[in-house]
Amino acid sequence: MDIDMDMPLPEELELLEANSHFYEEPYLDSPPRDPCPPKSPPSENLEIEGPKRPRESVETEPSAEENKRTKTNEIEEEEEDWLPYSAPQETNVAAAVEKDEEVYLSRYASAIDGDFLPVTAPSGGERVYAKISRAQRDEGFKKLNLKERSNGLIFEPVNVLLQRVEQQAFAKALQASSEHLSDITLPDTPMVHEQLWVDKYAPSSFTELLSDEQTNREVLLWLKQWDSCVFGSEIRSTSDEVLSALRRHSTQHQKSFDSNFSRKSRGHRWSNGSYRPINNVGHGTNNLKGMQDLWNKKSRVTGPPEQKILLLCGPPGLGKTTLAHVAAQHCGYRVVEVNASDDRSSSTIEAKILDVVQMNSVMADARPKCLVIDEIDGALGDGKGAVEVILKMVSAEKKSDSGKENNANKKGRKITSLSRPVICICNDLYAPALRPLRQVAKVHIFVQPTVSRIVSRLKYICSKEGMKTSSIALTALAEFTECDIRSCLNTLQFLNKKKEALNVMEISSQVVGRKDISKSAFDIWKEIFQKRKMKQDRKSNSSSGSGYGEFDFLHSLISNRGDYDVILDGIHENLLQLQYHDPVMQKTVKCLNSLGISDLMQHYVIRTQQMPLQVYQPSVAITLHRIVAQVQKPTIEWPKSYQRYRTMLMEKADILRSWHQKIPPYISRHLSTKSCIEDLISPLLHILSPPNLRPVALHLLSETEKNSLAQLVNVMVSYSITYKNMKSDSLSSNLGHKEVLDASVLSFEPPIGEFISYKDYRSDHHVLALAMKQVLLHEVEKQKILQVSTGKSVHRSDKCSNGDQDFIGKEASGAKSAKMIGENAGAGTKNYENVKNISNTRQGNSSTSTISSSLVSSRSATAGAKQKSTADTRKPTSGFNFFERFRNPTSKGSQDSEIAAVKEVTLERDLRPVLYKFNEGFTNAVKRPVRMREFLL
Amino acid sequence: MLWVDKYRPKTLDQAMVHQDIALNLKKLVAEQDCPHLLFYGPSGSGKKTLIMALLRQIFGPSAEKVKVENRNWKIDAGNRTIDLELTTLSSTNHVELSPSDVGFQDRYIVQEIIKEMAKNRPIDTKGKKGYKVLVLNEVDKLSREAQHSLRRTMEKYSASCRLILCCNSSSKVTEAIRSRCLNIRINAPSEEQIIKVLEFIGKKEGLQLPSGFAARIAEKSNRSLRRAILSFETCRVQQYPFTSKQAIPPMDWEEYISEIATDIMKEQSPKRLFQVRGKVYELLVNCIPPEIVLKRLLHELLKKLDAELKHEVCHWAAYYEHRMRLGQKAIFHIEAFVAKFMSIYKAFLIATFG
Repeated sequence: MDIDMDMPLPEELELLEANSHFYEEPYLDSPPRDPCPPKSPPSENLEIEGPKRPRESVETEPSAEENKRTKTNEIEEEEEDWLPYSAPQETNVAAAVEKDEEVYLSRYASAIDGDFLPVTAPSGGERVYAKISRAQRDEGFKKLNLKERSNGLIFEPVNVLLQRVEQQAFAKALQASSEHLSDITLPDTPMVHEQLWVDKYAPSSFTELLSDEQTNREVLLWLKQWDSCVFGSEIRSTSDEVLSALRRHSTQHQKSFDSNFSRKSRGHRWSNGSYRPINNVGHGTNNLKGMQDLWNKKSRVTGPPEQKILLLCGPPGLGKTTLAHVAAQHCGYRVVEVNASDDRSSSTIEAKILDVVQMNSVMADARPKCLVIDEIDGALGDGKGAVEVILKMVSAEKKSDSGKENNANKKGRKITSLSRPVICICNDLYAPALRPLRQVAKVHIFVQPTVSRIVSRLKYICSKEGMKTSSIALTALAEFTECDIRSCLNTLQFLNKKKEALNVMEISSQVVGRKDISKSAFDIWKEIFQKRKMKQDRKSNSSSGSGYGEFDFLHSLISNRGDYDVILDGIHENLLQLQYHDPVMQKTVKCLNSLGISDLMQHYVIRTQQMPLQVYQPSVAITLHRIVAQVQKPTIEWPKSYQRYRTMLMEKADILRSWHQKIPPYISRHLSTKSCIEDLISPLLHILSPPNLRPVALHLLSETEKNSLAQLVNVMVSYSITYKNMKSDSLSSNLGHKEVLDASVLSFEPPIGEFISYKDYRSDHHVLALAMKQVLLHEVEKQKILQVSTGKSVHRSDKCSNGDQDFIGKEASGAKSAKMIGENAGAGTKNYENVKNISNTRQGNSSTSTISSSLVSSRSATAGAKQKSTADTRKPTSGFNFFERFRNPTSKGSQDSEIAAVKEVTLERDLRPVLYKFNEGFTNAVKRPVRMREFLL
Repeated sequence: MLWVDKYRPKTLDQAMVHQDIALNLKKLVAEQDCPHLLFYGPSGSGKKTLIMALLRQIFGPSAEKVKVENRNWKIDAGNRTIDLELTTLSSTNHVELSPSDVGFQDRYIVQEIIKEMAKNRPIDTKGKKGYKVLVLNEVDKLSREAQHSLRRTMEKYSASCRLILCCNSSSKVTEAIRSRCLNIRINAPSEEQIIKVLEFIGKKEGLQLPSGFAARIAEKSNRSLRRAILSFETCRVQQYPFTSKQAIPPMDWEEYISEIATDIMKEQSPKRLFQVRGKVYELLVNCIPPEIVLKRLLHELLKKLDAELKHEVCHWAAYYEHRMRLGQKAIFHIEAFVAKFMSIYKAFLIATFG
C-alpha cells in the first residue's frame, strides 16, 4: 500500500523519514485530554481523524463529512497537478503524502499499473512516475459507504469500529516501518560504517528489556502514576493490565513504537469508559475555565506519585539508561536526557530542568517530556547542581501542597513544582552528592539479570549477525563480565569483526576488557571474610592456580578500591566477630600481628611520603583472608569505633587543655596534661568531695570544719573548678547521684568527673549533697572575688614591684567569673556587697588589661567610671548598695558615677590620704579636687 | 591549694629530694654561667620543680612572675603560610613552652619561633645575667625534624640563650642534642624519700601519722612524689584521724585496667578480646596514653601470672610496645598484645591442666 521508494541517497531518506514523523506528530500528540481540539486538521490526517471524532458530529453532519472528504480528494488532485511545476519540492511533498495518501512513486513506469504521471527532478534530471490513483478513490468510496451504513444503524459499537480502524493504522505503520528498515539496511550492507551492536540491538520495547522483571514493572508503574497528572487520565489499575496491553503490541516492530504507544494509550482511554465525553456533555459551554477547574479537581484526587523522583542505581552495563528510555517512551513521554557530558552547573541545569518540566513544546514533538538525568553521581562538583535544583523543586511542591489548594496548586505548578517525571540514574547509590536525593526519591537498585536471560539474548543477536557461538561460551562470557550486557556485546562484535570464534577456555586471555570496577568497601570486606565457593573446574585446572587466582582477584579488588585505611579498620572492627575455629588464639594473634604490620607500614608511608610502598597493603588483607575466611556469610559493620575514639579523644583533650590553661601558671606549669589525667584527677575528685562535710549553714560549722571548708574552697579556686548547673540526667546517673529534682544538677565546671567515668565501671567517689554543692559554689565565688580584691590591694601597696603577673592572670579569670555569677551570690553581708562593687569596676579594668603599677588605680577608676556611665544593667542596684554604704551627709555632691573610683580605696582607706585627680578619659561630671577624708568620714 | 603545690620547694635550698642535684645546680649557676641542660626522668620525680628553683636561683624572685600568653604565629613555609597557636609562659628572663603541642608542625616552632626568641638578647644586661632561658617541655615528643632543627639553634645562639629541656625519656632525644646538653637525670624518689616528705608535710599540717601509714602510701604511689602527696591528702580528706589500715583510694584508671586484666585471665577467646577492646577504647578516649595502658596492663597481668610465663609475657609486651610506638593506631597493638597473652596463657593452661 505504500510507495516503493528507491531513492539513491540515504541522507535523503533520512530527511524523508523526519518529515514523515513531522506530519504524524500533531496528530499523535494533540493533547488527548483536550475535549474539542481545534478543528483545522491537515488533510492527510482526515482519514483517521474522522472516525475518531466525537460521535455526535458524525451523526449529525454526515454531509459535512462527505464534503470534506471530497474536498480533500480535490486537494490531493490539485497537489498532484501541481507537482510537475514545483519539482524542487517534490520529495518533500511526496514524503508528506507518502503514508496516508495513496500516491505511488516509482522510477519505473512498469512498476506502476494504471495511470501515471512522469515527474522530472531539475537537479539530477531523474525521472519518477507518480501514479494517479484510481484505487484510492475507490477505497475512499468504499469507506464512505461503510460509514453511511454505520451512520444509519450502528450495530457495531463504536469501540469495535475504533479498534478496527486502529488495527488498520497499526498494520499500515508496521508495513511502513518494515519497509523503512529494509531500506535502511540495504544500502548499509557494504559496511561503510558499522553500527555498534549495542546500539543496534538496544531494546526498544518494553518486553525486550533484559533487566529484572520486577524492577521493570515497578519503574513502569511509577511512570504510570504520573498519567493522571500529565495526561489527565486515571491510573489504569494494576501493572498486569499494562503488561497485558503490552503483550498485545509486543509483536509490533520497533520503529513504529511512537505511534504504537500513543495510539494504544488513546485506545485505552476510549475503551475504558469515556470519562471525558460525558464531562463534556455536562459542561455544555466547554469553556476553558471550566475545563481548568475540572482538571484541578481531578489532579487533587489523583495527583502524581508520592515520590516524584525515581533513582535507578546499579553497576554499569545492566541497562539502566535503556530501561529509563524505553519505559518513558512506552508511557508516551518524550525523553530528554541530561548526562555527564552536558553542562551541569547549577544555573544551566536549572533552566534546562524547568524547561523540560514545566513547558511543552508547541513545535515539533508535543509529547510531554520526561527528564532522564544520567550519571547523576558522576561529577561531584557540578552534578550537585542538578540534585539541588531537583530537591528545591520537590520541596517547593510540598510547600505549595500544604498551602492553599486551588490557586496555589495552579500557581505552584507554574513556578517551581515538578509536574513531569524525573528519572535519575547513578552507579553508586551512596555517593555523597546523592545523600539528600536518596531521601526523597524512590530508589530502585538494579540487580544482575539472570545469566540465562542474557545468554538467550546474546544468542539471538549472534544468530541475527550470523555469528557462530555456543551457549556455553556465551554463558562463560556473561559470567566473566558479571552480566554486563554492554561489554558482552562489544566483545562479541569485536570477535565477529576479527572473524574469531568465542573460545570458552580462553575468555580471560581473550580480548574481553575487564572492567575496572571499584567495589564498595562492604563488598571487599565480604570478599575478605568469606571464602568463595571455588569453581570446580578452576580448581581441577591446577592446584596451585586456584590460590594464585584468588590472590590475584583479591589484590586487584583491594587495590582498585584504594583507601586501605578504611579497609583495614573494617577488618579490625569485624575480625573478632567472625566464627572461626581458633582453640589457642593463634589465628587471632596472627591476624592482629598483620594488622599491626599494616599500621606500621601506613605510618611509615605517611611519614616518609613514600607512596609507592602502599602497594604492599593489599597483601596484608590477603593474609588475613587466608587465615580467617569462612564459608558462611559474615555480618559486617562499618568501622565506627575508631573514628568515634578519635573524635571523643579530641573532645576530651580539648576540655583538658582548656582547663589546664585556666589553672594559674604557678600550678599548671608543673603539670602536663598527661600527668593531670594520670595522677591528679582521681585524688582531686576525692579531695573535692570530702565525705565528712556537713551540709549545714556556715555558722553552724565547727572551727575545724570551717578550716577544711576553707581549704576545699581554696583548692577549687586555685584549680579553677566550680560547680555548674547541668540539665543532663545522664551525668547524674553516671555519678550515681540520685536526684529528686532532676532538673538542675550541679556538676563540676570543667567536667573532670567525666574523665573517670568508664563504661561498666563504678568509682567509689563520694558525691556531695546538692545543698553542699551550692554552699561550695557560693563560697568559691566569694573567694574568687576576695582574691581579686586582695590581689588588687597587694598590688597597689607595694608599688615598686612591677606587677605580680600571677595575680593579674588570676584576677582576670576571677573577674570574669565574678561577672557571671554576680547576681547568684546572694549572701548579703555588707562586706560582700562592697567586694562586689569592686569586682564590677575591675571588670572594666581587666578588659583593658595592661596594668602598670603607679597609674593603675586612677586609670582603672576612670575605666570603671566610664563603664558605669555606659549602660550596664546591673549597675543601678550595685551602685545603690554602694551608696547606701556611704550614706554620709558630707558627700552629697559627689553622688555621681565617679564615686566608683573610691571603691578602690575602701580597703586601705586608713593607710594614707590620697588625692585623686581626674584628667584622663571622658566623664561629664563636675571635676574638682576632693580629699579622700571627705568621703570616708 | 593542694599540698602538692603548697609544699613545693621554691628554691634549690629547700629541696627535700635530689638534694645532691640541687647542690650541683647551685654551684653551676654560682659560677655565672650555665650550659644547656637536659632534665630527664619519670613523671612525678621533680624535674619541673628543680627547673623552677633553678630559674629562681639564676634570676631571683622575678622569675616567678610569669604571664600566660596564647600567641599566634604566621609562618611562611615556602608557598603557604602556616598558622600556629602556642601557649607560652614568660617572665622577663625566661620563656617556657611545649613545642610538641602543635603536633606534626613542631618543626616550624623550632625553626622560626624558638630561633626568634633565642636571637633576641635581653635588653637589660646591666647587673643581670646576659642571657635568657628557654624552657622546652616534652622534648621527647618532638619530631625528628624538629630536633634536628633544634641542635643548630642551640649552637648558634648559645651566647644569648640557654635552653633547658625537659623530658621523660632521654632515649627519644637525639644524640646530637644530648651531647650539647648537660644531662641531668632525675630519678624517681625512693620510698624512703617519699616517706620523709610525707612526714614533713604531716608535721607541717599538724597531723598524727600512724606508723607505717606513710610507708603504705609511698608503696602505692609507684615512686611518684606527686601521686604520693595527692593520695596522702586524699586520705586526709576521706578520714582524718588516720588508722593504719585505712584504705588508700586507688587511681580510677588503674582500677579499670585491673578489671580488664581480670577479664583476660578469666576467659581467652576472640569474644572476650572484643570486650577487652571496648574497654581499652574507653581508657584511650579518656586521654590515658596507650603506653601507660599497656604498661599498667602488663603490671596487672604479671601480678596474677605463673612465674614461668612472666618472662615471655614481658618480652611480648616490650615487643608490642615497640611496635605501638612505631605505628599509629595504638589499639591494634594493645589488642595484639592481649591476644598474644591470651594465646600463651591458654596454651599454658592446656599444657598444665590438660
